[in-house]
Amino acid sequence: MKGSEVRVENADKKFGDFHALKSVSLTIKKGEFFSLLGPSGCGKTTLLRIIAGFEEPTAGMVYLDDVDVIPLPADKRHTNTVFQNYALFPHLSVFENIAFPLRLKKVPFEQIKEKVTRYLQLVHLVGQENKKPNQLSGGQKQRVAIARALINEPSVLLLDEPLSALDAKLRHQLLMDLDLIHDEIGITFIYVTHDQSEALSVSDRIAVMNEGRVLQIGTPFEIYEAPADTFVAKFIGETNILDGIITAHNGRFYTIETDQLGPIMVTSDRKFEVGKKVRHAIRPEKIDITKEKPEGLPDDFNILHGKVSESIYSGFQSQFYVATDQKLPFKVYQQHESYLERGPAIRWQDEVFLNWDADDGYIVELI
Amino acid sequence: MTKPRLSKAVFWTTIAFLFLPLVVLMVFSFNEGRTMVWKGFSFRWYESLFLHQPRLWAAVSNTLIVAFTSSILATVIGTLGAIAIHWYRFKAKAYVQAMSFLPLILPEIIIGVSLLIFFRMIGMPLSLWTIVIAHTSFTMPFVLLMVTARLGEFDNSIIEAARDLGARESQTLFRVILPIAVPGIFAGFLTAFTLSLEDFVVTFFVTGSGSDTLPIFIYNQIKRKLPPEINAFSVVLIGVTVFLLFFARRSIKYFVQRK
Amino acid sequence: MSGNTDSRVGTTYSLPLTLWISLFFVVPMAIVFLYSFLTRDVGGGVRWEFNLDAYAAIFKQTSSGQFIYLDILWYTLWMAVAATVLTILVALPCAYYIARTKNNTLLLFLVIIPFWVNFMIRIYAWVAILGQSGILNEGLMALGLIKEPVQFLFNDYAVLLVLVYTNLPFAILPLFTTIEKFDFGLLEAARDLGATHMGSLRKVMLPNIQGGIITAVLFTFIPIFGTFAVPDVMGDSNTYMLGQLITSKLKMTGDYPGASSLSVLILILTAGGLILYTAFQRKQEKDKMVTIAEDAL
Repeated sequence: MKGSEVRVENADKKFGDFHALKSVSLTIKKGEFFSLLGPSGCGKTTLLRIIAGFEEPTAGMVYLDDVDVIPLPADKRHTNTVFQNYALFPHLSVFENIAFPLRLKKVPFEQIKEKVTRYLQLVHLVGQENKKPNQLSGGQKQRVAIARALINEPSVLLLDEPLSALDAKLRHQLLMDLDLIHDEIGITFIYVTHDQSEALSVSDRIAVMNEGRVLQIGTPFEIYEAPADTFVAKFIGETNILDGIITAHNGRFYTIETDQLGPIMVTSDRKFEVGKKVRHAIRPEKIDITKEKPEGLPDDFNILHGKVSESIYSGFQSQFYVATDQKLPFKVYQQHESYLERGPAIRWQDEVFLNWDADDGYIVELI
Repeated sequence: MTKPRLSKAVFWTTIAFLFLPLVVLMVFSFNEGRTMVWKGFSFRWYESLFLHQPRLWAAVSNTLIVAFTSSILATVIGTLGAIAIHWYRFKAKAYVQAMSFLPLILPEIIIGVSLLIFFRMIGMPLSLWTIVIAHTSFTMPFVLLMVTARLGEFDNSIIEAARDLGARESQTLFRVILPIAVPGIFAGFLTAFTLSLEDFVVTFFVTGSGSDTLPIFIYNQIKRKLPPEINAFSVVLIGVTVFLLFFARRSIKYFVQRK
Repeated sequence: MSGNTDSRVGTTYSLPLTLWISLFFVVPMAIVFLYSFLTRDVGGGVRWEFNLDAYAAIFKQTSSGQFIYLDILWYTLWMAVAATVLTILVALPCAYYIARTKNNTLLLFLVIIPFWVNFMIRIYAWVAILGQSGILNEGLMALGLIKEPVQFLFNDYAVLLVLVYTNLPFAILPLFTTIEKFDFGLLEAARDLGATHMGSLRKVMLPNIQGGIITAVLFTFIPIFGTFAVPDVMGDSNTYMLGQLITSKLKMTGDYPGASSLSVLILILTAGGLILYTAFQRKQEKDKMVTIAEDAL
């Protein structure tokens, strides 16, 4: 493995009165594609800049393969950064931008040419080497920035919202390319983003951050399916939240008496005592929506009745906002299936039934 | 869209107003007579300009010496200052920013008055040197402004990128900062140079005997009786300026395209 | 934002600038300030006796009750206002026309070209046009409209004419840059909503280009307080503007404290203008913040 392990211990950062990072600890494994995910101002970029060496933490330690790197300036760390706005040198060609670190080291031109060509191939920019940055598209600029950051053969590549300036299609394309590059060179990638779908689709693991703290670290599956708290549940994907009190408990099965909907069935591998107030979440795509009352469902299915207050058709799926009889809003996503399996179309103001398996519901936390 | 007819009329009238004096100078530079009465076409004032006006040419030479020296000084000091102000932290930053902004808006006469009193107080004789100092002082803020404006197009990340990729401080300066600042430095230098060539007020205060620049020379002549060679000289000056600007534009284009 | 924590580098780069500005701007200004409180000495020097004489002189009256300096100040102010108003009135339509023309590089060049000719030569050209044996007089006499040459020079109008002439580009350029950024679609919207052409310009465009107008006003107004050459060459030798007064005190009578106190006066006026300007900008920023906040709600 060419990558490094990155270990952050109790990193704290204050900018004047603003507490940007509050005692953050995490370990990023060798060769991992690790994402720092959170809304703007959550401290993710600050953490990245501390790892890169652009900021010094107010307190705490940063280790690269067990070496304390806090005393090392950015140019002495085996990390390189891909900046949000690319930070390409406008006066240098694509070739010279990528060759910049080698030129600094006075590497002979033959070697520079050989190596830059290799990296141009890696990022699919062969043939563009004589262009100036202002002649490139946003996606091409970002590829140059990636090649330039990789040419020093860092053991950790830091990416600061590298795709945020690009449009959706291009973003997806570049993200896939990044994933391939990561697989090919095998170093550690630390990827900062506020876009949950970016993080979910390529990361080995994700750290969700908010207000200077790490709320949860886990695989994309864990983060989506078992969010550690309300913030994570709401920030990652869409969700319907129901609060209630546990009234019965039988093995994995819990019954929650909600304020408005009556009893809801849910399973959990965690232990909760009867009488505790909890928050329950159910993802919109896990709810089935039908015009007819569903028949023959097992006991552990929850069924609700309501009326469609809004319906949004978006090609591969439809989104429904359903007001239950108790006037509680519910979000439901219906994947469009093949013609044969499709029931009668559901329209605005239709009376509908919602149902979901207790296994799909999730107890987020005690409240 | 309504056609801006009124503004069009005002604009072209204004252009005519702006060019009127230049046209007059140009026409009468070829006048046989010495007054503003047309006596016939002649090149005599051009001939006499080059043969019989040694003091005018001395003033031209003074002007060029001052302009080159002061604008180079202002450009070097101003550029370094702009880099420091835009990208670095240092103790006197607020002070330097405020104090280098002030001369931009103060009437020039204040700079002239204060420097004259200053030179007198420290007993520095007035000469070309005092003019150079004065011109450097009042043109430097313009260099600072223009280089800062250029650097303003780039944020910190470009320097961080250079450092991140292994550049030392001097390498960052010479391989990244200065090259990207070039358009601003060039604009700043040209502005400083032009302002120095043009300056009358500040120079008027700090000039010593024998160190008259062109504007001072012309001023002294207007006060008496202006020699007709001045018309011819103006035309030569316009010609040279237009030529230089054309040349400068060509070379800027060449420079930009080559890069 | 500060990745550059090393303040030594910043100090090194800024050192020449700091030293130069301190030595050749701040110190001389401080000396002027100091001198304005000293006493004038015979032979063009100063005595180290502190008093307010130089300032009191500004308010001195002649035996006939005339304020000499205050009159000059008033006259300068009046000329500055007149020249500024005229300049802006001409510059506004010009800038508007340039901004509304598609390929306007040539038009901008036309505005700037005359200013590549030396300032003094341009003044001289006006003398050649307006002088007693200038082409205007020669032309009028040739046409038989006048018999004797008329003195067009040495009066306020000649001074105003040349002040406007020399200041025009400094007003046109900042106005052009703000007008160019203005969204002309707003004018069409205003017309669509029933405004007349002039009405839409006045009610929609004018408030949006205030910043440019203020810059243009400052660029013309402030320098006139220090102007010396124009009134000296074009003006009546019996009326003085502030710049001429300072010059004569310094170069002819050697009254350093007098010149200093008047310089301080100009400094205060300039500072006043600047404070108004920044206050205006602050207000605009604040208005912007309020709009953003309202949008957010």
